[in-house]
Amino acid sequence: MKRFVGMWLVIGAVLVGLVGLFYAFYALAALGAKGAVALGFPGFYGSAIVNAVTLMAVTLMTVAALLTVAERKWSAAMQDRIGANRILVGGKFALGGVPYLLADALKMLTKEAIYPVARSRFLFEAAPVLAFAPTFALFAVVPVGPEVRALGQTVGMWVANPDAGLLWVFALAGISVYGTTLAGWASNSRVGMLGAVRASAQMISYEVSLGMSLVGVMIAYRTVSLQQMAIAQGADVLGPIPALGLLLQPLGFLVFFTSSFAETKRAPFDLPEGESEIVGYFLEYSGMKFGLLFLAEFVEVVILAAVTTAVFLGGWHPIFFEGWLKANLDPMLFGAVCAAAFLGKLILLTWIQLVIRWLLPRFRYDQIQGLCWKLLLPGAILNVFVTGAAVLVDPSLQVLAWIGVAEIIAIFGITLAVSKPKAAHGGHDHGDAHGHAAHAAGH
Amino acid sequence: MPYQIDNRPADARESLYFPEIFRAIGLVVTTFWRNAFFSRDPNTDILERDRTRNRVTTLQYPEEKQPYPAGYRGLHRLVPRPDGSPRCVACYMCATACPAQCIFIEAAEVEGDPIEKYPKQFVIDELRCVVCGFCVEACPKDAIRMDTGEHPPPTYEREGQIYDIRRLLRGAPVSYEKDPWLVRPSKLTDAAQKANRAAARPYGTAGSDEYSQTPGFSVRELTAEARARGEGGK
Ligand code: SF4
Ligand code: SF4
Repeated sequence: MKRFVGMWLVIGAVLVGLVGLFYAFYALAALGAKGAVALGFPGFYGSAIVNAVTLMAVTLMTVAALLTVAERKWSAAMQDRIGANRILVGGKFALGGVPYLLADALKMLTKEAIYPVARSRFLFEAAPVLAFAPTFALFAVVPVGPEVRALGQTVGMWVANPDAGLLWVFALAGISVYGTTLAGWASNSRVGMLGAVRASAQMISYEVSLGMSLVGVMIAYRTVSLQQMAIAQGADVLGPIPALGLLLQPLGFLVFFTSSFAETKRAPFDLPEGESEIVGYFLEYSGMKFGLLFLAEFVEVVILAAVTTAVFLGGWHPIFFEGWLKANLDPMLFGAVCAAAFLGKLILLTWIQLVIRWLLPRFRYDQIQGLCWKLLLPGAILNVFVTGAAVLVDPSLQVLAWIGVAEIIAIFGITLAVSKPKAAHGGHDHGDAHGHAAHAAGH
Repeated sequence: MPYQIDNRPADARESLYFPEIFRAIGLVVTTFWRNAFFSRDPNTDILERDRTRNRVTTLQYPEEKQPYPAGYRGLHRLVPRPDGSPRCVACYMCATACPAQCIFIEAAEVEGDPIEKYPKQFVIDELRCVVCGFCVEACPKDAIRMDTGEHPPPTYEREGQIYDIRRLLRGAPVSYEKDPWLVRPSKLTDAAQKANRAAARPYGTAGSDEYSQTPGFSVRELTAEARARGEGGK
């Protein structure tokens, strides 16, 4: 019972800490904006630079680094284990395994870097950066918090707010395939090359359904800017229920989440690094160069959660008590609460990704392609048409919301309708477990 | 048979693939919830653990040890008499019985006694020992036992695994009604006896009645008595 209370206290403390942190970030961004104005530039130049540091270099990297710890501890809890707890600070406190982070970093940084002789010199060095940089830059367009007035300046919690927000996401997600492909190619190893080919085939396939799945959202909110989408999700649609992407686009959410999961190249989509068969595109990498490829994967997980939060889970809207919070709190504090809500959702989503990562075994190659082309893509296309029709019929999104509710109920219903196991009829191999496009339509 | 794999073709619902994944996610989330939010029952007997909430079966090994089964052959010890000197009379029975020939005994005569001997040096090379327990069986004086319930602890040098009498002579003293030294006074002075007892390393942590190989003999009781007398032993 002590642990039960303690865990909730920790969760509460983390949320409160996040509110405090983002309060400080808002203040810093406002100071940056002030500085920029003093120098004769538009205010958002300054806040963007400050946000690039606070959001991308601090928040994103911290969350990504802590994910390595979470991967250990959370996976342990899911598998009835305890997880890493042997580093005792002061000989007594395991601190939830967080000190392993330092040990990991130290190991990565001090490990010997081994270079294959026949590598392509320039590309071998460039590939980890090419893998890391685009995913890292993706975070720039993610709106972490709302635009508020702080210290006499209007500042937002995002680095950039291009009108083409989602297109930027697609573009950079598309570029990140170069890193993995070049990593495999430049190391001049057959096995690494195999991994790279798998990675590129997989990522290019899933980019199609990734793009398709978001078209529905674009139609529904009539924008491609992530910031606009986050704002649009605050509007009520069914009575007091806000127009969350999850409500309007459950199918889109499902397809997007699955496709972007495949983009992160983590289990069950970790074919490019199938340890048991080919080790993967980073086979020849060691030391911090491997660390960067490794970190890129974790950053991708966080980014995926961030984009999903922004597009489908209501962005920075705290959803509950939002009106009260907005009315009663000082705008800067309200912004901080919103940003903390965003981070909370983000952490929840990364957690769900870890759940799936530890739940499912690796797909076979044909299963991966089958899932993408036969199930996800038809589902996404169907979703586009249904959404388009619904928005055409009723621009107030009500019809779309009802369709979403129906979809959610259908998904729940199908999930819970577990058939009784029939009498086994011999060892009949059923081979392909899922690729049935016909059923996707009814989904 | 705990898991029976039913290799039937997937039905329509299962072919959709996602519903089953959702169900499985529910399962994993439940497990996570149980393990992360409730504390683990640290009972070292894992089968006895209360796993209704937290299901972790991990044993935090160096801190928590599982009780060994009765008759477990642990690290040797030389059993002391109540006065702290070894019960061993250096008869070489154990050394003779030892198939690994890893017992070395240097006998010495007890001063003023024409018959009795004692081990001046008694060395067991734990690296050569095959843990057969023959030495224990062979001993006519119940002077060597493997009832400590410990492993030989790992060491960095080979020498560390060679146990001499100073490390072997430890644990609770053992006495029988007919032991000759009980009917005649100990030859040691009180101070020597006390020093003997103080020098003996305390008895190991895992010792319990299950490990004693003599019926009716309780290591636990003897340890408790020794503790009550204010002598070593944890
Ligand atoms: S246990 Fe066996 S091998 Fe070890 S010392 Fe005794 S008799 Fe020798
Ligand atoms: S331990 Fe027992 S068998 Fe071995 S020499 Fe001593 S009395 Fe004899």
